[in-house]
Amino acid sequence: MSAIPSSLASHAVTRRRFLALCALAPGAALVPGAGRAAWAQETPKKGGTLRVGFYIEAATMDPHLSGSKIDRQVYHNIYEPLVVLDANLGIKPGLAESWQQPDSRTLVFKLRRGVKFHDGTDFNAEAVKFNFNRMKTEPKSVRKGEVASIDTVDVLDAYTVKLNLKRPDAALLATLTDRAGMMVSPKTAQERGPELERNARGAGTGPFVFVEWVKDDHLLIRRNDGYWNKQGGPYLDQVRYRPIPDDTVKLQSLQAGEIQVMDYVQPRDVAAVKADRNVVVLDVPSLADFAYQLNHTKPPFDNRALRQAVACSLDLEQIVKGVWLNVGVPANGPIPPTSWAYDRTIPFIKRDLARAKAKLAEAGKPGGFSFTMTTNNIPINVQEAEVMQAQLAEAGITMKIKLVDAGTLISDGNAKNFEMINFQWSGRPDPDGNTYQFFRTTPGTSLNWSGIANPQIDALLDRSREVSGQAERKKLFSQLTRILQEELPMVFIIHPVEPKAFSPRVRGYDPIPDGMMRFKDVWLA
Amino acid sequence: MGLLILRRLVATIPVLLLVTAGVFALIHLTPGDPIDAMMAESVDDTVKRQLRHDLGLDRPLYLQYATWMSRLLHGDLGRSIRNQEPVIENVGRRIGPSLQLAGLAMGIALVVATPIGILSAARRNSALDRAGTTFALFGICMPNFLLALILIFVFGVSLRWLPISGYVDPLEEPLDGLRSLTLPAITLGLALAAVITRTLRSSMLEALSEDYVRTARAKGLSDAAVVRRHALRNALIPVVTVIGLQLGTLIGGAVITEYVFALPGVGRLVVDAVFARDYPLVQGVVLLIAVGFILSNLVVDLLYGVIDPRIRQTRHR
Repeated sequence: MSAIPSSLASHAVTRRRFLALCALAPGAALVPGAGRAAWAQETPKKGGTLRVGFYIEAATMDPHLSGSKIDRQVYHNIYEPLVVLDANLGIKPGLAESWQQPDSRTLVFKLRRGVKFHDGTDFNAEAVKFNFNRMKTEPKSVRKGEVASIDTVDVLDAYTVKLNLKRPDAALLATLTDRAGMMVSPKTAQERGPELERNARGAGTGPFVFVEWVKDDHLLIRRNDGYWNKQGGPYLDQVRYRPIPDDTVKLQSLQAGEIQVMDYVQPRDVAAVKADRNVVVLDVPSLADFAYQLNHTKPPFDNRALRQAVACSLDLEQIVKGVWLNVGVPANGPIPPTSWAYDRTIPFIKRDLARAKAKLAEAGKPGGFSFTMTTNNIPINVQEAEVMQAQLAEAGITMKIKLVDAGTLISDGNAKNFEMINFQWSGRPDPDGNTYQFFRTTPGTSLNWSGIANPQIDALLDRSREVSGQAERKKLFSQLTRILQEELPMVFIIHPVEPKAFSPRVRGYDPIPDGMMRFKDVWLA
Repeated sequence: MGLLILRRLVATIPVLLLVTAGVFALIHLTPGDPIDAMMAESVDDTVKRQLRHDLGLDRPLYLQYATWMSRLLHGDLGRSIRNQEPVIENVGRRIGPSLQLAGLAMGIALVVATPIGILSAARRNSALDRAGTTFALFGICMPNFLLALILIFVFGVSLRWLPISGYVDPLEEPLDGLRSLTLPAITLGLALAAVITRTLRSSMLEALSEDYVRTARAKGLSDAAVVRRHALRNALIPVVTVIGLQLGTLIGGAVITEYVFALPGVGRLVVDAVFARDYPLVQGVVLLIAVGFILSNLVVDLLYGVIDPRIRQTRHR
């Protein structure tokens, strides 16, 4: 009996097949029903404490001020967004029961009745209005960009709320499945002020209630017995999160039973862990794309032919196999195979040394050229850099490697102080979140590190926000992917898988490709 | 004695000033920026600009230093940029585990090193001495992280006698607390023991070759009495110096050990703060570490006088 929907556990489906399924028919492999059947025959048991190991400490408990991925792992258990993702990245009702879009600039939500915040206050339209206003006006809000398209919020009645948009925004609903859609109790937020960052007691509506956060030691949440959704869990008494920074030690803690869940298994450990009967590994496909941004604003990569020479000198298959040990697939662009917008008919850029040489000649550098690549000083990035260096050398291109820490990497990127720079994006459910902010010409859009300014790309990106039909948007994103392969603001490397590991006692975990661990229906056998 | 302490404390002021200026310059010259590090995912430049302005990060460096110093003189170390809590609270939370770990590691080191060091010197070139020297060499050569992983594998994963990682406060739960600190303390303690063993052995050898030892033996004192009453006491000065230096370092946190065992100590705090470019936190913690280091050295200096009356007399002259 496996911890996880058994069709997804490593024993049943190989990673390769799993990825193939994801790529061919997003969703098919992740149909929760298929896996659920395996453990649905067992009656879930209430009780127990689930101990979860994280690689770092959470940063803040206020979803409107959070800029760290790890925070979201906790939020998805204590807060709830207006709408939620299903395993196919489809959008389902969350705190909003239903929604309508009478025109492209209006979004009307019917809210769920009978939902209470953990502090006992009602969740209603006023609370929604308060939250959006807070995200838009709170000086430290990190959500401003995500809710920028919302102009005003009208309360139509106690349980109906209307968002008036400044411009059409087809990606907004998907954005509201995460922190930008998470509702914080107005009473708690107002009374507690900045203290909310450290203490989220009473602030959410979710299946678990915040209990305590002993910094650097643990964060504890317990079951919300008054949870509005009476179907399924929450079953667990408590969930206890612990930061364990060293990957090897975290893995050993899981093997020895000190923790029962770990958020991420390093590619180098995946094979060994899968061989361990005391651990169940689940390959959760992610929304991420790992790439290298090329600086268009200065030599050498202001020259398109040189960018293309680099792209077709790289052997992505070799990198994915040799460095990432096949824990992921070569990337054809920014949109991951888990997305409905992924176009599998577009191949990733294949290695073609003859073409690389031709491109070098076209750029007037037949003998090759040299550039510096900035990357994170962590083992897997260093390995990747060394492989790339060797591959580029075969085309006559000399790549120097500059190793920096994460803080320097981000600042160098924002300041465009690089020639080529590593960029790892955790991804967003809507393809807009993996594209717009990186490739749209907008002064002040700091994630467009490459400095690309291309009217054709701009027009496509704008259009993709205006049209609402998924099929039409998919066509636009396919077009975009093709142009990106020519213009190369980034060299895309891999869409990684996020392997998570569990004790065999853990049942009922439903993987969603956003990588977040929602424990509502999880129980301990 | 009081005057000596006062003199020594006054002499530390320029040292501390140099430390603050050095740390301030280094951390600000390091590429990177706290707001970028904190808001990696945000694309809103106006928010970042506003935050930098609110924190005064857009002002010239010398002004930032002056502001920080003036607050410091009022006893205010500032607040962490990342978690908004006062630096002193951040350190307060972390100093306990670091001190407990340092104390326990030092205890283990002394219990192991004292007999090995003395016996190695007293039975020079015997099998016992060779075993002691080998142990010391092993302890010095063995990298901390490797020893930690081996200990975790043996005692945590295979035998399951001790917890692998995490911290329980021994003041609240003595047994679980000690269990949580055992492996990290052994990891640190063995390396310390090795250093102390070597120092003690060589200074004992030197003392044992002195004339007063020969005189003591000639008077018919037993070997044990010679070692205990005459040689050991004279051999202690370099050992106490080494212990003082090591303890000073330990107060600043045993970064790798704390990292591997997921212990919430000062070492991890300062490393995380450097990565987050949390300027006030880095400056505050390094300053406090420097103070700790200076104090532990002061204690060592005072101990010299206790151990060796001649030093005490020189001071009084």
